[in-house]
Amino acid sequence: MTASTQLPATPPATPAESTTPTTPTTKEHPAIDQEPQAPAAGPDPARRPDPVELRADCIADSAGGLTFDLSAPEDTPASWNAALVLRLRGGDGADDEIRLPLGPNGSGRLRAVLPSTVALAEGRWNAYADLGDGRNPQRLRPGVNDLRSLVDRRPLAGIGRLGVRIPYATKYGNLALRSWLRGPHAEAGDIVVTPDGMTVSGRLYGASPAAGAEAEARARRKPPSTDAGRDRVTVPLTVEGQHFRFTLPYEELAGSWRRGSEPWDLWLRPAADARPVRIARLLDDVADKKQVFSYPALPVRAAAAQVRVGPYYTLDNDLAVRVAGPEEPGE
Amino acid sequence: MHISFLIHNAYGIGGTIRTTFNLARTLAERHDVEIVSVLRHRDTPVFDLGPGVALRHLVDMREDGPGYEGDDPAHRRPAKVFPAAENRFAQYSELTDRRIAQHLRRIEADVVVGTRPGLNVHIAKQARRGPVRIGQEHLTLDTHPRELKLALRGAYPRLDAVTTVTEADARAYRTLRLPGVRVEAVPNSVPAPGLLPADGSGKWVVAAGRLARVKRYDVLIRAFAQVAEQRPDWRLRIYGGGAEKAGLRALIDELGLYNHVFLMGPANPLEPEWAKGSIAAVSSSLESFGMTIVEAMRCGLPVVATDCPHGPGEIIEDGVDGRLVPVGKPAALAAALLDLINDDEARKRMGRAALAASVRFDPAMVAGRYESLFDELLARRRGHRLRGTWHRTRGALLSGAYATKDAAQSAVRGVRTA
Repeated sequence: MTASTQLPATPPATPAESTTPTTPTTKEHPAIDQEPQAPAAGPDPARRPDPVELRADCIADSAGGLTFDLSAPEDTPASWNAALVLRLRGGDGADDEIRLPLGPNGSGRLRAVLPSTVALAEGRWNAYADLGDGRNPQRLRPGVNDLRSLVDRRPLAGIGRLGVRIPYATKYGNLALRSWLRGPHAEAGDIVVTPDGMTVSGRLYGASPAAGAEAEARARRKPPSTDAGRDRVTVPLTVEGQHFRFTLPYEELAGSWRRGSEPWDLWLRPAADARPVRIARLLDDVADKKQVFSYPALPVRAAAAQVRVGPYYTLDNDLAVRVAGPEEPGE
Repeated sequence: MHISFLIHNAYGIGGTIRTTFNLARTLAERHDVEIVSVLRHRDTPVFDLGPGVALRHLVDMREDGPGYEGDDPAHRRPAKVFPAAENRFAQYSELTDRRIAQHLRRIEADVVVGTRPGLNVHIAKQARRGPVRIGQEHLTLDTHPRELKLALRGAYPRLDAVTTVTEADARAYRTLRLPGVRVEAVPNSVPAPGLLPADGSGKWVVAAGRLARVKRYDVLIRAFAQVAEQRPDWRLRIYGGGAEKAGLRALIDELGLYNHVFLMGPANPLEPEWAKGSIAAVSSSLESFGMTIVEAMRCGLPVVATDCPHGPGEIIEDGVDGRLVPVGKPAALAAALLDLINDDEARKRMGRAALAASVRFDPAMVAGRYESLFDELLARRRGHRLRGTWHRTRGALLSGAYATKDAAQSAVRGVRTA
C-alpha cells in the first residue's frame, strides 16, 4: 500500500469550510425538499482512481496459451509501446514482470497473446494494461473468460515441463492469472474414499513410471516426530502407461496423530531413484480447487482417539490428507 | 419517446435488475431512457448499463458515503403507500413513500414502468397525469400472498397495462378483472453471448441458479446418480451459492458422487460456463420465467427441464430444442438426460435448434414488443383523450369499490374468526 492511499478520504476541516454554502434551513424536515443526489454530481475522486475501466476478454487454448482482447476506450491512440503487463504478486525480480505487446485487432479492440512457450513462475499474476500513453499501467477487469478448452485438458504425456495458466477474477473483481510450472507433474484424477483409505487415480507427465515407483505421504507437522519414520508413509504404485493408481490406508496416518488438525502432503516418486513430484490437480479451468473438489472425511479409530481422515486440495491445488481430532470442526 | 423505469435497487444482483438493464440498454438505442432506483447501496451497478441510459437513485443507503440517509428518522417509520404484504416492505419507509411520490409527481416521461408490485402500486396511485403507466410482474400473481393480491386489485385499475413474463401469468392477471387495463405477456430478454456456442462434444451437464429449495437440486443430484451409473464418463456442474449448499454437499457425499457432481459456487458472467457444457438441466418446482433456460439455449445447449409453472413449457419445445419432464421425479429427469447423453446426433441437433429458437428472446425482439405496446398505449391516450379520462375515472372508482368490498370481506371474516 502506498502512502497516498492511506490519506483520509475527506480532507481535515479548514477555515475555508465556513465559506461553503450551507443548506438553507426550512421549517420542514431537510429530507423533504432535498433533491436526490444524481450521479451527475460527480463521483468521489478518491473512490474511482481510473477514469475508464478496462476489461479484457480472455480465450484459452488447449496448449496453455492465452489470448487477451481489450475493449479500448475510443480515444485511445494505438501506441507502438502499448503492452499487457503481468506482474507476479509478491515478486520483485526481473522475471516477475512480463510485457506482452498490445496491438490493434480491428473493431476498436486491442489484443495481446501469452503463448504457452513463455514460462510464467508459479503464483498469482496481476494483469495490467499499459496503453503507452505515459500513465501508470492500469489494472484490468475481467470480461468473458472462455476457458472451455481447459475443462478436460489432456496434454501430451511426453511434455517436458507443463505450464498451466488459469485466468480468474480476484476477490476485488480484478483480472489475475494463476500459474503453475511443473515437470514432471503428477495429475490427480478421481479419488475414491472408504473407511479404510483412499484410492487416487491419475496421470504422470514428463516422466515414465518405472520399477520402485511409489506414492508418499509426508506429515507437515512441526516439530517432526523424533522417529522420522512416523512422519512418512509410502505405498506402491500401480502403473499402466502414463496412468497411475495407489491406495493410501488411513490406519497409519491415524495412528501417528498427536493433536489438532494434521495435514499430510502427497508426493509421487516415479522410480526408486527419482526425485519425488508433488501430486496436484491442475489440468482444468478451476482456479481454486479446494471448495469445488471436496471429499468426505471419514471417522477412523486410532489409539489416542477417534479421528476424521479425508483428502483435500490445498490453496495451491496440491493434494493433501487431513487427520483431524474429535474436537476439530470438519471441513 | 422518453421512458422511465422505477426499480427497487439497480445496484444489486438479480434477475429483475439484469433483465431491466437489458431492456433499457436496447430501448436507449432509439429513445431517452432512465432508470430510477429507489435505493442505492453501492457506487456502481454490478451489471453493465451501457452509456445511453441515465441512472439515478431516490434514497442513498451507502453506509460509508457522505450522503447516507439510512439513519433518517423517516426511514425508520413504516411505509404507508408501499403495500405491507410486499416482500420488500421492510426496506420501504415513510422516506421512500415521500421520495417516490415526489419523483412520480414531477416525472416528465411519456411512459413510466414499474418493475415490482409495490412500485406498480406507487405508480398507479401517484404518477402525475400524462405518462402511460405500466406495471411489470417479474414473478407471478399466484405466488403473492392474498393481502398483496387484494392491494394489486385495488390499485392496478389505474394502470394502462400490466406485463407478465409468461402467458400463464397473463391469464392469471386477466382473472383479476382489471377493465381497460391491457394485460400482455412479454418474456424477459437475454442478449446473445459474446462467445462461440457450445459444440456439444464435452461430457458435462450444467445447471445454474441459487442453491435454494425451490430449485430442487436434490432431485437433480439423485437423477445424476442414475446417470453416472450408466455413463460414468459424464459429469455435472452446478453453479450458484445459497442456503442449501451444505445439504447438497452432504447428499453428494452420501451418494458417493464427489467425482461426478460439483458445486462450483457463483459465477458471473455465466455464459462461458454454459459453453463448457453440452446439456443444461433445470430441476425447479417453480420458475416464474426461466432465465437460465434461455441463457443456456442462447449458448447452444439443449435444456432438460421440469415442466413446472410457469416458464419452462413456454420456452422449451419438448423433443425439439430440449426436454420437459415431470416435477420432482429423479428417474424421469435421469431418463431424459440419458436420452441426450446416449444420442450424440440428437443432442447436437437439439442444441442447434435451441440456438435458433432462443433468438426470439434477443433484447432487440423483446424491446420491439415493448415499443409497440408503448406506441399503442400512447396512441390510445392521444387519440381518445376522453376515453383516457374515462379509463382513469373508472380506474379510480373501481379501485375504491374493490377496496370497500375487500374491506367489507375482511371485516366479515374478522367477525367470523373472532
